[in-house]
Amino acid sequence: MTDMTVRMAVPAIGSRVRISGPRLLSAGLWTVYLLVIGAWLLFPILLVVVASLQGKLEVSWPLSHLNLDAYRAIPSGYWQSFWFTIRVSIVASCCSLLISLPAAWAMVRGRLWERRLISSLVLLPEIVPQLILGIALLTIFIPLGLSNSFGGVVLALIALNLAMGLRFGEALLEGLPEEYELAAESLGASKLAALRLIVLPLIAPGLAIAALFVFMQNLIAFVLLFFIAGPSATPISIRLFTDIVDRGVVPEAVAMSAMLVYVALIFYAIVALALGPKYMAGALMSRKG
Amino acid sequence: MNMMARSASGSQPVSLEQISKRFGDFYAVRDLSLDVAAGEFVTLLGPSGCGKSTTLKIIAGLLPQDGGEIRFGARRVDMLPSNKRNVGLVFQNYALFPHMTVNDNIAFGLRMRGWPRADRAARVNELLSLVRLEGLGERKPSQLSGGQQQRVAVARALAFGPDLVLLDEPLSNLDAKLRDEVRLDLRDIQRRARQTTIFVTHDQVEALVMSDRIVLMNHGIIEQVASPRDLYAIPATEFAARFVGANNLIPGTLISGGPTPSAAAVGLDAPIAADTIAPGIATQDQPLWICIRPEQLGMAKVEQSSDRCSLVARVIDMVFQGTSILVDIEQQGIGRLRSERPPEEVGSLRPGDEVGLKILGCHLVPRKTSDSQADASRMANAA
Repeated sequence: MTDMTVRMAVPAIGSRVRISGPRLLSAGLWTVYLLVIGAWLLFPILLVVVASLQGKLEVSWPLSHLNLDAYRAIPSGYWQSFWFTIRVSIVASCCSLLISLPAAWAMVRGRLWERRLISSLVLLPEIVPQLILGIALLTIFIPLGLSNSFGGVVLALIALNLAMGLRFGEALLEGLPEEYELAAESLGASKLAALRLIVLPLIAPGLAIAALFVFMQNLIAFVLLFFIAGPSATPISIRLFTDIVDRGVVPEAVAMSAMLVYVALIFYAIVALALGPKYMAGALMSRKG
Repeated sequence: MNMMARSASGSQPVSLEQISKRFGDFYAVRDLSLDVAAGEFVTLLGPSGCGKSTTLKIIAGLLPQDGGEIRFGARRVDMLPSNKRNVGLVFQNYALFPHMTVNDNIAFGLRMRGWPRADRAARVNELLSLVRLEGLGERKPSQLSGGQQQRVAVARALAFGPDLVLLDEPLSNLDAKLRDEVRLDLRDIQRRARQTTIFVTHDQVEALVMSDRIVLMNHGIIEQVASPRDLYAIPATEFAARFVGANNLIPGTLISGGPTPSAAAVGLDAPIAADTIAPGIATQDQPLWICIRPEQLGMAKVEQSSDRCSLVARVIDMVFQGTSILVDIEQQGIGRLRSERPPEEVGSLRPGDEVGLKILGCHLVPRKTSDSQADASRMANAA
């Protein structure tokens, strides 16, 4: 009896391990393909990070003379802009999610007949070039004294982000069966309590990812802010651009660019650690993860 | 002490008066009135689209009605939002909160009512033992089987002493074997809690097994309200006779009413004696359906048959079912009939055999006049 099972088991395992020639070829092609894609995506990031550590834009091989001189040389104006950008991004991300989530709830649960129309209208800012949005906002902001100010930049970013926040919110709420809310209400919860105790905890993972995306978008916003920003409200993207135009690619600018990469990675890591790996790979919108 | 008072069942009589709900031109529910006694288990039974789920949503406050009044005891609730009605609702898919433990799920209604933590814990334990899930309170719903999840949903709905518990097809997600078990469980829990309950289902067996009374619905109106026994034995309408249980319906007309009613079947010379007669049949020659349940249609090989309304028929097909055998027969005047008899009576029959039919019980329900003309012409053709 034991003899037989062993004899039967051995070829089964063998056949699974053995890989035929064509399969090996296709696996090899896949690997090359993935490596090329990976290199293509990672190359600029790696280049900036290595260059920042070597203190010059031309990366030299072997990787010698790694130092932090370029980081030490970052002028205080850069740091001001850097922290300004971080503050603006956090405030704008929170505001746009706070605004877009209730709107998404109304659109998904309210069964508005105009929903399709509204849903498409909300997409418009994403389609219209930021250039146009920038000019339009500027004509409003100048008489209101909002251009070249913290508030103005925040408002511009919110305008930019609402569509994305709404998209995320709609997808998250669509994925959450309404029965949970109805059950909570039948058990005595007000709409607000149902939202706080049931809806928000259940969509929290998706919401964190949405926040990450919106934050990143704010961190690197450029075209729109080019119109709104000014000497007293300069995001780091604008500061770097103007400096590079004036003085060429100086080591400090490369170091500051690398700082933005670190910020993005840190935020990504925080979200990933908070949610666990299963949410980060592919299952972006799924409530089950 | 306080807790004892709170944990007593809050069961109330429920009264619905002239409830209506329209979607465009379509009446989902039309002038529905119903009284449910405190502690009673009433089932809304009907095919999909009959208005039973709409009625349940209206009672729960999830859907506003167009007209009518709802009272729990003396309290009028039809203007209240769902969270102020004090109704325990069990959803078809249970809708247990996946991010909360079983304990937290059951305690949710108590938490919303501001019960102190210690009282909540005690009440949750009480309910866990009522639904026999002791020791599983710390689990998440996803770690429970379908039957266990269902019992948590019931416990959650009972926890806060609701005036009324509503069950929306809670058994339809369970497999057949578990369903048999759980419906008796559910009935048992309801009785022990003495909880006024309205149950919605399209499954007539569930309705018959579980209910004190069944409300049979069709096209947004009530066809009949009766005990399971009466609904099965003496249905009031053709729809009731067809929907609940299997039935042979033979078109006919009334010969005589009174204590010993009898009817003439289309295509038969001899009158058929009826045991019971639905209300609304009084005048002679009134069109009606002669209803004979499969188990009321006895038979014997033709040489042995003798007494009461002996009819000759031919066996077409037989299906063995364990405790009984389904026998499809063809009678020349009436057409096809189905019988369900114990194996010892019909086991020796074979398809093609001639049998004498013995009608062991028969009930009459009214037949609508629109198709009575068609039958009249058929009768003329037959003659």
